[in-house]
Amino acid sequence: MSSAVQVPPPRTSLSTLPLDQERGIYAMWTVIATELMLFVCMFGAYYYLGTNKDRWALETPPELKYPLILLAILLSSSFVLVWGERQLKTERFGAARAALWGAVFLGLCFMGLQVIEYVSHWKKLTPYSDSYGSIFYTITSLHAAHVVVGLLLLMYVGVLPRYGATLRTPHKAYKAVALYWHFVDFVWIFIVALLYVAPHFQGAPHVR
Amino acid sequence: MSTTALESKLAALWETPKSVYGWFATVDHKELGIRYLVTAFAFLVIGGLEALIMRLQLARSNMGLLTPEAYNQIFTMHGATMIFWYAAPILSGFAVYLVPLMIGARDMAFPRLNAFTYWTYLFSGIFLYTAPAIGQAPHAGWFAYVPYTLTVYSPGLGMDIYALALIFLTISTTGGAINFIVTILRLRAPGMAISRMPLFLYSTLTISFVILFALPALTAACIFLELDRRWGTHFFGIANGGSTFLWQQLFWFFGHPWVYVIFLPATGMLSMIVPVFSRRPVVGYPFIAISTVLTGVVGFGVWLHHMFTVGMSDIAMSFFSAGSMTISIFTTIQVFAWVATVWKGRPVATAAMHYALGAIVMLVIGGLSGVFTGVIPVDWQVHNTYYVVAHIHYVLIGSNLFPVFAGFYYWLPKMTGRMMSERLGKWSFWIMFLGFNVGFFPMHILGLLGMPRRIFTYKPGLGFDGWNTVVTIGSFVLGIGILLSIINLLRSLRKTPDAGRNPWNSDGLEWDTDSPPASYGSVHIPLVASRHPLWDDFDESADPECDRVLDEGRLTPTTTWLDAEPVGIATIPEESLAPALMGLTMLGFFATLVVQMVWVALGFVIATFLIGCFWMWPRTEKEVV
Repeated sequence: MSSAVQVPPPRTSLSTLPLDQERGIYAMWTVIATELMLFVCMFGAYYYLGTNKDRWALETPPELKYPLILLAILLSSSFVLVWGERQLKTERFGAARAALWGAVFLGLCFMGLQVIEYVSHWKKLTPYSDSYGSIFYTITSLHAAHVVVGLLLLMYVGVLPRYGATLRTPHKAYKAVALYWHFVDFVWIFIVALLYVAPHFQGAPHVR
Repeated sequence: MSTTALESKLAALWETPKSVYGWFATVDHKELGIRYLVTAFAFLVIGGLEALIMRLQLARSNMGLLTPEAYNQIFTMHGATMIFWYAAPILSGFAVYLVPLMIGARDMAFPRLNAFTYWTYLFSGIFLYTAPAIGQAPHAGWFAYVPYTLTVYSPGLGMDIYALALIFLTISTTGGAINFIVTILRLRAPGMAISRMPLFLYSTLTISFVILFALPALTAACIFLELDRRWGTHFFGIANGGSTFLWQQLFWFFGHPWVYVIFLPATGMLSMIVPVFSRRPVVGYPFIAISTVLTGVVGFGVWLHHMFTVGMSDIAMSFFSAGSMTISIFTTIQVFAWVATVWKGRPVATAAMHYALGAIVMLVIGGLSGVFTGVIPVDWQVHNTYYVVAHIHYVLIGSNLFPVFAGFYYWLPKMTGRMMSERLGKWSFWIMFLGFNVGFFPMHILGLLGMPRRIFTYKPGLGFDGWNTVVTIGSFVLGIGILLSIINLLRSLRKTPDAGRNPWNSDGLEWDTDSPPASYGSVHIPLVASRHPLWDDFDESADPECDRVLDEGRLTPTTTWLDAEPVGIATIPEESLAPALMGLTMLGFFATLVVQMVWVALGFVIATFLIGCFWMWPRTEKEVV
């Protein structure tokens, strides 16, 4: 019967165990899971609104120049952060901090260029024109809001004393925030693929 | 070191200062758990009073107690209050209080997040109730279908407050889910492998994952609604290419998993309570655990059964009808396991057991009417009638309210240290049981007679009068039953503590602490050797060398998520005002967003961020190497 003693666990002295630094990373993964689901719902709404429509998206598919440059910027910022994490592991804190601020710089470039992209896009499409415009701008600006949050977090870790990298803090702030930034980057790949590139391959259903 | 010296050392580390500051800054899960329970119970009472007002209006035909608009507002507030601000938070209250004790941890994985989720829960509830306070309550039912909720048909701030209060609440609920996931996966006592976890932890873990994946749909829907209402977009307006079904799809993609969020922890509580009062281990532990998880998973594949009447392809309807049938199998497995436990055991008829068995009976009735409505032709017949009202109340009261009362009678002695009157408890049970069945069973008949839901009155001569009077009487009897239990609790609080550590001779680790538990839980972190730690012949707290005390700071061990082998020591932060302050600034953000004061709202965002920085700033002086 299950109330009998099963294998008794070995006796352990708990006080000699190392400090736990993993809780924050677990939590960040769950945050990413739920945030990803928010974007999945948004993409779902995009396609749901697009079904059974005579006309979806614009007469001409969205331009690819800006979103691809934006993608390159974000991807490179992620690589910079990955490099920074490596520096952190070998305790080169100065280089890690420099990588962090490098990612912040690239993130700011992304935001600036997205403003330019919005200005050029706005001439053809606004959130007020139809449901396509509404969902297009909602998804992209929701992503922009995530970029802002990511930038604020990066800057915060950038000014932390040794940015939570030492053994003395309960959380690995650098790693957690880098994870979030990679997620923001990851979402942009999907936005480019689904909102910008896919309309080019749909033949012309969106102009019928 | 002697035990008393250890106790006072731990108490000095863990106790919250008894001051105004301490009250607002506390991160103690026991304190917060009780606040959750009290707040959620207050919402139950508010929602219940709203229901009684509605029942008075419906007692006879052509009553003039409420105007149609007032009636719409009251049923909307009743539904939203009960489903969002009572049913899930009361279960969170039990979980916040009990999970750390059940797993032998000293606190939750993120105690300040725990405080934050409580404050945001409270503030979002207050925010929702500002709507009736300014006379503009939402009036479109708890699922708020468009286009009725767009500004054309629902001017005023009511629906804006509804949408933003829900977004506010999802932040709180998601935070709580994250906290439960990390706590249950990382902070279990050494030896409590996942195969030995109490079943309540299985249900709490399952619903926490469900929350992560279901709530974003509600957030997205509410964002779209608010954008459409105030910011000129076209998600739901047909004329500009929007779709009214988009709201329904998103809402029910969230809504049906949410039913399991407010249902599964309650079944988890039944799986804890029924075996204790049957005096034997639960029958079919792995089957209950697996069917709990599968209910959470399959719960994502049934949402269209709320929409069978909107018009869709046969294949979609067949799929979702089959899904709805499938999910009843998992609940049936649990019901059979409980019945077998009682059957094979030596049941003790305590008040808690009364509530637990009553819950099972009503859950079966509610489940069966659910299977009926899962059949498409029946659904078409009874859609939007009182049959559906009867179904939802049998499921929610049978599988939430009665298990919650069973939980109160079972665990309140642990929380207060005082036994409640069994006699009064049983009286309360029978009155509630009688009132509930008299009050809600006739609704099935009313529905089959064709009485639509959400009507503020009806004409005489339709055959509705008699049954409606019975329903009204039953609902007041139910209210009296609940009142008796409140009196029972208040009476017990005036006694001297008499519960002892384990009044029910239960099996769980939470009963290995004092009643009420000390601020640090148990002195020695327990070592778990079986599924029923207090029923086996292994002494969990035996620790002659004081290897498992961790009195160097606010510390608790972390273990691997599968086998619970100890791998580290987690530092637990001390109390802080930041969570409550951040809740306040977020309340400010949502309140100013309702009136579209964008710049002020932005100011609140910045304030929230700055408080977050202060909250997270590492304080190295108190930490260990």
